[in-house]
Amino acid sequence: MVAPAATPTPASTVPLKRRKSKAVDDGVITVGRSRSGTILANTAGVLFSVVMLFPVYWVLNTAFKPADEVLALEPGFWPSNPTFDNFISAFKAPLFLQDMLNGVIITLLAVAGALVVGFLGALAIARFSFYGRKAIILVVLVVQLVPFLALLIPLFLMLQNVNLGFKKFDLTDSLIGVSITYLVLILPYTIWTLRGFISGIPRELDEAAMIDGCTRAQVFWRIILPLTGPGLVATSVYGFIQAWNEFIIINTLNSPEKQNLMAWLLQNQTTRGTAWGPLMAGAIITSIPVVVFFLIIQRNIATGLTAGAVKG
Amino acid sequence: MSVVDSPATRRPRDPGGPRQNRVPGHVAPRRRKRNSGLVPWALAVPALVLIAALLGYPLVRMLVLSFQNMRLRELISGRTPPWVGFDQYTRVLTDEVFWAVVGRTVAFTVVSVLISVIGGLSIALLMRRVTRGVRLFMVIAMMFVWALPQLVAAQIFRWMTDSDFGVVNYLIDKLPGVNYQNHSWFVNPWQGWSVITALVVWAGIPFLAITLNAGLTQVPKELLEAATVDGATPWQSLRNIILPILKPLITIVTTLSVIWNFGLFTQAWVLRDGHPEPQFQTLATYSYTQAFGQARYSLGSAIAVITVLLMLGVMIFYIRQMFRIGEVD
Repeated sequence: MVAPAATPTPASTVPLKRRKSKAVDDGVITVGRSRSGTILANTAGVLFSVVMLFPVYWVLNTAFKPADEVLALEPGFWPSNPTFDNFISAFKAPLFLQDMLNGVIITLLAVAGALVVGFLGALAIARFSFYGRKAIILVVLVVQLVPFLALLIPLFLMLQNVNLGFKKFDLTDSLIGVSITYLVLILPYTIWTLRGFISGIPRELDEAAMIDGCTRAQVFWRIILPLTGPGLVATSVYGFIQAWNEFIIINTLNSPEKQNLMAWLLQNQTTRGTAWGPLMAGAIITSIPVVVFFLIIQRNIATGLTAGAVKG
Repeated sequence: MSVVDSPATRRPRDPGGPRQNRVPGHVAPRRRKRNSGLVPWALAVPALVLIAALLGYPLVRMLVLSFQNMRLRELISGRTPPWVGFDQYTRVLTDEVFWAVVGRTVAFTVVSVLISVIGGLSIALLMRRVTRGVRLFMVIAMMFVWALPQLVAAQIFRWMTDSDFGVVNYLIDKLPGVNYQNHSWFVNPWQGWSVITALVVWAGIPFLAITLNAGLTQVPKELLEAATVDGATPWQSLRNIILPILKPLITIVTTLSVIWNFGLFTQAWVLRDGHPEPQFQTLATYSYTQAFGQARYSLGSAIAVITVLLMLGVMIFYIRQMFRIGEVD
């Protein structure tokens, strides 16, 4: 898991460069456009952005208010006495730190596993043509659409009684069971995205390396793996977001001591009544890693979901 | 990794590996197919095993479960639940409540997807029209919304529509002649669903607008300018140039939105405090509450199976689109 932390720079610089070159000619037409129309459009654009941002602003506003201001009948649009109390009480809340740690462990396990397994699978689809390739692609695509929620019931029954032949395990209410489940949850997307990155590497590079005496393993190790680097970062970050954000499965399978922060946010509402200030503070803390990672790789997410739909 | 790779790599080299490189392109695929028979499978096996174990097997088990009658007793004792044939399905399909849920889910999907896609397209077009600074502001605003976890977004909306201290009531109350103090948004299902739809649309627009905007940059500038010079109205340019070029992209994002919104769970769940009233149940929450709330695991499975069947058409359509992409490269 060192790689994603160390290499976000290539992933973030590439889109930046692209954006700059786009500014020169970004397909904005100028013919037949009036000045008043532009002003109108700009006003609409700003208005739209403000409406979109309002909930985000409101959660920040609430989180920094002291308790009496949060529950004021006249909600203030700016905290008059900004305070970190809500964040402190969120951190002090029972199980918050425990669930945060659980979330980190589960997410890292799932992402690391999905990356290794997914890379090998993607390699098979992208670099070989063989009987059954289409079938594998089909499986990868189909399972992405299976509503995981629907599988919760059998999954619960299955994890409760895992029989490996020599010993029986109960993987419900354990971090391992959820980690494996999340691994499989993000695996199809991982394979599909990495497939795109790998097939973007020219085959000629493989062939040149093989002429120079590389074995197939060396080609994978020395050519494809390094060149897929940015793709691996983007994919792992997306996997991280998916696993970090999941709460339904973990909420069903595990007890509060073995849950993650998302499930903590959910529990917080149902059992303890709603303390809005700490809840919003908790929501911010929970969102920070996701938002940061997301902003780093946003370009890849959009292209991954709709790759190839518009011919560039 | 090397354990999987090492036997894999030797095999293709045995029968004249170098010769393969002499004639690239045409011959290569056939050769690869014949010689590397087990390599790709060896690479794909870990992924396939995991998918089979944690997706395939539960899927089969869900089907089996829907033909049994599993209740809490069987769950605790671990005994095989009694077989009941199609009883669960008859029970579901003859239940008026179920059909109400289906109708509600479908109606919500249609309305929310229409608003999202049309809204997203409008925003994308607006992004083409505004000046650069404003466009950047729009992108940043949407990125923040897009990045927010679903659960957090739902919690924020729950707080904003809180009947006592919610800011939405406060703002509406400011309007002249309207009294919205302590107004509860979820007493009237229409109002409640408006909040849910607003949340889903608000959260969905960034993906749609930014993706469609990326598609719009691919529309040749010359075509649009030529049309404008020839006297086409903006509406005509949109209908006859932009939409046809954008059609494949619109199809995919619409399909994705349908799949996502049809499976609505988090938003309804959170906004209703984890106990959605009957009028706020969707297929996903209904199946979940039947299974885990009422311990009717088989009934929940049957509902899940029907849900998948209802979505099958849209899913096949999406898969065919994506499959074509996967085939090309």
